[in-house]
Amino acid sequence: MKPEEALPAARAAAAEHDDALPGGLEITPTERVSMEQLIEWSAIEPDPTTMRSTRKLGAPITFFKRQLLHVLRQYLRELEAQQTRFNLNAVARMAELEERLAKLEERAGGRDRR
Amino acid sequence: MRVHQILSGAGPYDAVTEQARAFRKLFGAWGWGGRDVAASIDPRLGNVIGPLASLQPAAQDILLIHYSGYAPRVRRALEFDNRKLLISHNITPARWFWDHDPMAAVSCALGRKQLPEFAAAVDVAAGVSLFNARELGSETVIPILFDPADFGPPAAPNPPGPPTILFVGRVSPHKRQDAVIRAFALYRRRHAPAARLVLVGRGVNDTFEAAIRALADQLAPGAVTIEFGLSREQLAQRYRSAHAFLCMSEHEGFCIPLLEAFHFGVPVIARAVGGVPEVAGDAALLLAAEDDERVAAELLALAVGDEALRATLRERGAARVAAYAPEPVARTLRATLESLGATG
Repeated sequence: MKPEEALPAARAAAAEHDDALPGGLEITPTERVSMEQLIEWSAIEPDPTTMRSTRKLGAPITFFKRQLLHVLRQYLRELEAQQTRFNLNAVARMAELEERLAKLEERAGGRDRR
Repeated sequence: MRVHQILSGAGPYDAVTEQARAFRKLFGAWGWGGRDVAASIDPRLGNVIGPLASLQPAAQDILLIHYSGYAPRVRRALEFDNRKLLISHNITPARWFWDHDPMAAVSCALGRKQLPEFAAAVDVAAGVSLFNARELGSETVIPILFDPADFGPPAAPNPPGPPTILFVGRVSPHKRQDAVIRAFALYRRRHAPAARLVLVGRGVNDTFEAAIRALADQLAPGAVTIEFGLSREQLAQRYRSAHAFLCMSEHEGFCIPLLEAFHFGVPVIARAVGGVPEVAGDAALLLAAEDDERVAAELLALAVGDEALRATLRERGAARVAAYAPEPVARTLRATLESLGATG
């Protein structure tokens, strides 16, 4: 078979089977982040296990970094809480504005039609 | 002549860092001086690349900026009055990262925003492919310096062992290893129950890598290997054992693994996105946007089983490697930099 013939042949063979694709994780791009997603992201919850050393034989450094996180947990929680408070309020305000804008646009559209 | 290379970030197994080091070897061979610096440096690199803050170029020195991601401090390079060449290695659109790696998404979003500003501020803006160059409104291409001699001889036409499918690339959302696994699972189910899939690449983060591993365990238990940190010889061995190379990536500025697969005579199946059609030419089986994993699975069956097809792809692949031979790329690079030096 020539390479130019392969794709049409593969398409024909795939159409013959036409069975469902296997399920599980499927990556899709996020073209526009939804308001629901923004609200979810606004609550800061970093995963402490991502704290690690990339150095060779970095296990002791990873251990030290995680201990440091543990020791500083009161301060870090306060930091997360303050940032989350701001994020949530900012997103809520944005949602309100979007809603108000949509209503105004709707009203303006109705006036134009009249 | 002195040429300083400036990188957004530098690390081991990083294609841009490898490229900068290959360029530095060339500069050395041409009797040129200069330093290589980066805004952020992975500690595993040691002292190979210096910190950007330490760069103090003399008036006649040329700055070569390798742009591959947002780094606020790289803007400092634009403040120097020196002649500048920008090479864009392409930045993946942020939409692939928002859900899986927020920091990468932010870096990509800012990087794509910052890139046109950089392109406007340098004397010459180039891309590693025409696809990359045109994103900057340029037609100047300085391709990736790919020397097949680094990998040793090509493989035998038909490696022994069960059909082995290979993909090499960071385990990252836009590389779509999930689609590779899905296509492989279908191929295995319909055509080759003993087939194996080898994914070479480190995850953008542990969580995403774990999700890909879980998918592999779910769809093709025991048949998928994910590995990283391989030496060049180990990587060459993976190519020599492979029967086909499957790339389902949704965004590629150049895709060096295509040239590696061509060098080893491994038939390539890839999505026709970004710089892929330009690099692959007629040597790969290219999937269109509407072709899903079912079509990819059937192409795998053809690429592994059809001897005439394999032989033609092998021949054409060798021609693509010749088209990207290091000597002409080195000549283009030298001519571009010398023209900057002459006008400085």
